[in-house]
Amino acid sequence: MTKTGMIDFRGVNKWFGALNVLKDITLSVEPREVVVVCGPSGSGKSTLIRCVNGLEAIKDGDLVVDGQRLGDPATNMTQLRTEIGFVFQSFNLYPHKTALENVTLAPIHVRKTPRAEAEKAGRELLAKVGLADKVNAYPAQLSGGQQQRVAIARCLGMRPKIMLFDEPTSALDPEMISEVLDVMVAVAEEGMTMMVVTHEMGFARKVAQRVVFMDAGAIVESGTPDEFFSHPRTDRSRAFLSKILRH
Amino acid sequence: MLENFSFRTIVEYLPLFGQGLVTTVWLSALSFVGALAVGIVLCAMNLQRGWLFRTPAKAYIDAVRATPLLAQLYFLYFGLPRLGFVLPELVVGILALSLNSGAYVAEIIRAGILSIPRGQVEASVASGMTYVQRMRLVVLPQAFKVTIPPLLGQAIVLVKDSALLSLISVAELTRAGQLLASDRFMPAEGFLTIAAFYLLLYYCLKGLATLSGRWLGTAGART
Repeated sequence: MTKTGMIDFRGVNKWFGALNVLKDITLSVEPREVVVVCGPSGSGKSTLIRCVNGLEAIKDGDLVVDGQRLGDPATNMTQLRTEIGFVFQSFNLYPHKTALENVTLAPIHVRKTPRAEAEKAGRELLAKVGLADKVNAYPAQLSGGQQQRVAIARCLGMRPKIMLFDEPTSALDPEMISEVLDVMVAVAEEGMTMMVVTHEMGFARKVAQRVVFMDAGAIVESGTPDEFFSHPRTDRSRAFLSKILRH
Repeated sequence: MLENFSFRTIVEYLPLFGQGLVTTVWLSALSFVGALAVGIVLCAMNLQRGWLFRTPAKAYIDAVRATPLLAQLYFLYFGLPRLGFVLPELVVGILALSLNSGAYVAEIIRAGILSIPRGQVEASVASGMTYVQRMRLVVLPQAFKVTIPPLLGQAIVLVKDSALLSLISVAELTRAGQLLASDRFMPAEGFLTIAAFYLLLYYCLKGLATLSGRWLGTAGART
């Protein structure tokens, strides 16, 4: 039996109409590994992680997540998704629910956790992301950074094996970015398997074992953060880095 | 001009108007409940992916919206007995209003559901919810809020449409006005009075819309 990672892309392809958005992707993410995915806009990095929990379907190749092959009739996608947290760029909190209700909704209804237990865990998680005093606030009453921290707590409430982050700080005002990154660092340090689409180099250097650089739907380069940021090997990654590091 | 206007006759006919008003209110209420039921079923059919349910729902909605309510009412009132279904006027009236308004309600609910941002569905999908769970817990509670004001608007339309039932001799408010007009030959008194009552009903429903807006606005404002 071949060794499989927590997330295994093997020759994955995907098209949007005629556009080949993922080109022959082969990538394996080990348990407890943190992989940062970066690349220019439209390079397919969001699509890549959206495939992992089936928000996007792959066209060909194999994608095996937590030992289950996506698209296989034997794979219960709804069940698999409970093991995968997804943090969106635009938070996507439920506006009609309080922070605590956002965190406990899926544990209560999907995991069938007793309400009291779910609420206790929810309060602890909100305290962990620094929002103990916002338990009863509605999303509209929270800042962007606070909303994103609730969104992370909402994922953690399901006790997932994997967490995916799709540009979690891109919609935030600059002064709110670090509060969200701090929470992400804490999650990473607890040993979560993570794929993070981000351009936050500080975060990548601090916790990522690997940086994957994508361009035009393909993985162009992959290496440790140090290798990638200090000694990019391709022209495209050098051009990209010079743009994001200039300021 | 007003010297010919007989307030006394209006007062004399007030019990009749009162009965008409009560009938209009309860038959409209009943029809609205029926319209909600028809609308929910049609909307559920219309949101299916396959054509099997969607096509008939769309055809029905188009047919109702493209034809006059009066024609639909006459079809049910005069046409159904020919086909072997003999129903009392009141039942035919409520049926016609429910079936007619239901088509509009279906579109209002559909618009409400489609107005929920895609990210809401994605977030609930990502957390492992089933279709039924995300509808029940995430989409419908939010759609409900945006749907209330246009639904009350449709209720106002329905109340006014119920006047057409006077043409199949249902003793509702407009019918009361017609009686005064024909008994005493006082159309001004008769129809002005019923207009006043319809206005009253309008303000009641509008007040309800404002109240519901305030009530719904307090919890969980949309971002």
